[in-house]
Amino acid sequence: MSDVNNDIVLEIKDIHKSFNKLEVLQGISMEVKRGEVVAVIGPSGGGKSTLLRCATTLEKVDAGRIVIGGDVLCDEVDGHLVYCDKKLEKEIRSKFGLVFQNFNLFPHFSVRRNITEALIHVHKKSKPEADAICDGLLKKMDLEAKADEYPCNLSGGQQQRVSIARALATNPEIIFFDEPTSALDPELTKGVLTVIKELAQEKMTMVIVTHEMSFARDVADRIVFMDGGVIVEEGPAYDLVTNPKQERTKAFLAGY
Amino acid sequence: MDETNQVIRTLFMTLTQLVQGFGFTLAIFGLTLLFSIPLGLLICKGRMSKIPVISLICRFYISVLRGTPLMLQLLLVYFGPYYMFRVSLGNDYRFIATIIAFSLNYAAYFAEIFRGGIQSMSKGQYEAATVLGFSKSQTYFKIILPQVIKRVLPSVSNEIITLVKDTSLAQVLSVTEMFTRASAAASKQVSVMPFIVAGLFYYAMNLLIEFILNRVEKSMSYYS
Ligand SMILES: Nc1ncnc2c1ncn2[C@@H]1O[C@H](COP(=O)(O)OP(=O)(O)O)[C@@H](O)[C@H]1O
Ligand SMILES: [Mg+2]
Repeated sequence: MSDVNNDIVLEIKDIHKSFNKLEVLQGISMEVKRGEVVAVIGPSGGGKSTLLRCATTLEKVDAGRIVIGGDVLCDEVDGHLVYCDKKLEKEIRSKFGLVFQNFNLFPHFSVRRNITEALIHVHKKSKPEADAICDGLLKKMDLEAKADEYPCNLSGGQQQRVSIARALATNPEIIFFDEPTSALDPELTKGVLTVIKELAQEKMTMVIVTHEMSFARDVADRIVFMDGGVIVEEGPAYDLVTNPKQERTKAFLAGY
Repeated sequence: MDETNQVIRTLFMTLTQLVQGFGFTLAIFGLTLLFSIPLGLLICKGRMSKIPVISLICRFYISVLRGTPLMLQLLLVYFGPYYMFRVSLGNDYRFIATIIAFSLNYAAYFAEIFRGGIQSMSKGQYEAATVLGFSKSQTYFKIILPQVIKRVLPSVSNEIITLVKDTSLAQVLSVTEMFTRASAAASKQVSVMPFIVAGLFYYAMNLLIEFILNRVEKSMSYYS
C-alpha cells in the first residue's frame, strides 16, 4: 500500500461490487483533486449510489483500491483485497462527509445537537468549541434562527441544509452528496443548490450525484457519466453537457 | 347502629389485610419490571443475532413463554426443582419463584416489542451515525435506543398495565399478595366485598400508572 499523492483527495481504482449475482460496479476508476467538484450523472440503477456507499465505508467492495485523504481504505495486495483496520477506518470516516438524499437527520436531537454531537463525542471537542462551529455553519446555511428547532419542524430544504452543516462540522477533506435535492419540492431545491454552489466557490472538494443537469454543468469542474456499472464518459462539465461524445451520454442528456 | 358498626369494622379489617398484601403486589410488580426489561432487551438482541443457533433459541424461548399460560409457568418454576431434582427450597422460594416466572414470561413479551421497535428504525439512522464516526455502542445508546423507547412506549405501557392485574396469579403459589388475601377474606366473610375493594386497589394503581405513562409519553412528544 503506497503511492499516495497529497493533491488527490479521493482515488478510486478499478473497484468492483456485486450484489448476489448482479455486478453493480464493473471496474470504476476516478480521481478527485483537492478543491475539485465532480458531478456524477446517469440513469437510475447505474450504480451511482453504490459507488458513493463504497467510498464512504457503507459498503465493502469486492475488488479495487480506495484512498481517501491519503489513507488507504482498501487495496489489492498480491491479488487479494485487503481492507484497513478499524482504527484507520475511523480515521478515514473523519476525513469525509456524506449528505444523503433523505437527510437522515436524528429526529430526537435539536438542529444544534445534530451538528455538535459528533464533534463532542467523536472528535472530543469541548461544548463551547462545538457550539461555535455550529453557530458559524448555521449562519452560512442561513439557519441561525433554527438552532433549537427539531428537524420535524423544518422544511425539507432546511433539513437538507442542516445535514450539509452536519457533514461540514468535522471539517472533512471531501464531501459526498447523493442526490441532495431529489427528495425536495422544486421550490426548495434552489436553497440547497445555492449552498453547494457557495461551497464550490470556497474550493470545497465535492463529489455530487445529481439529476440537476444545469447545476452540474455550471458548478462542477468535471462530470462523470455512469451507466450499467461503468463510467461511460467523463470530461470537463461544460463540454460533456453541451457536446457529449458517446451515444449513451447523448441519449441520456436528451431526456433533460 | 350495631349492624353499621359491624360493617365498618369488617371493612377496616379487610382493608388492613389487603394493604398488607399490597406490599407483595407492589414488590412482584416492581421486581418483575426491573428484571424483565433488561432480560427482554437481551433476548431481543439474541433473537436478532446473525448467529442462527442463538436466534433460534431465542425464537423458541419467546414462542414457548408466550404460548403457554403464565399460571402453568409459575407452577413449573415453583414445583420443578422439587419434582425434578428432589430439592426443597424453603418457604421463601414461593416469592422468588413468582418473580422468576413473571420475569421470564414478561421478558418474552418485551423482547418482541423491542424487536418491533428496533426493526422499525430506518437504515439511514445507522448509516448517518456510522459515517459521522460514532462507535457501535454510541450509535445504539445515543441514536437508536432513545427513538426506539419512544416508539415502543405505547406497547410497553400495555404490558405494564396487564402486569398489575397479572400479579394476582401469584395466588396459585399462595404468595400472600393482595388477591390471595382478598380471596381468603371473601370466603371467611362469605361476601364479595373484599373482591370489590381489591378491584378498587388494582384500578387505582393502574390509574396512577396511566397518569405517569401519559406524562412520559408527553415528555417525548417534542419530535415525531
Ligand atoms: N443493497 C443492495 N442489495 C441488492 N441490490 C442492490 C443493493 N443496492 C443497490 N442494488 C442494486 O444495484 C443497482 C445499482 O443501484 P444504485 O447504486 O442505487 O444505482 P443509482 O444510485 O445509480 O440509481 C440497482 O440495480 C440496485 O437494485
Ligand atoms: Mg441512487
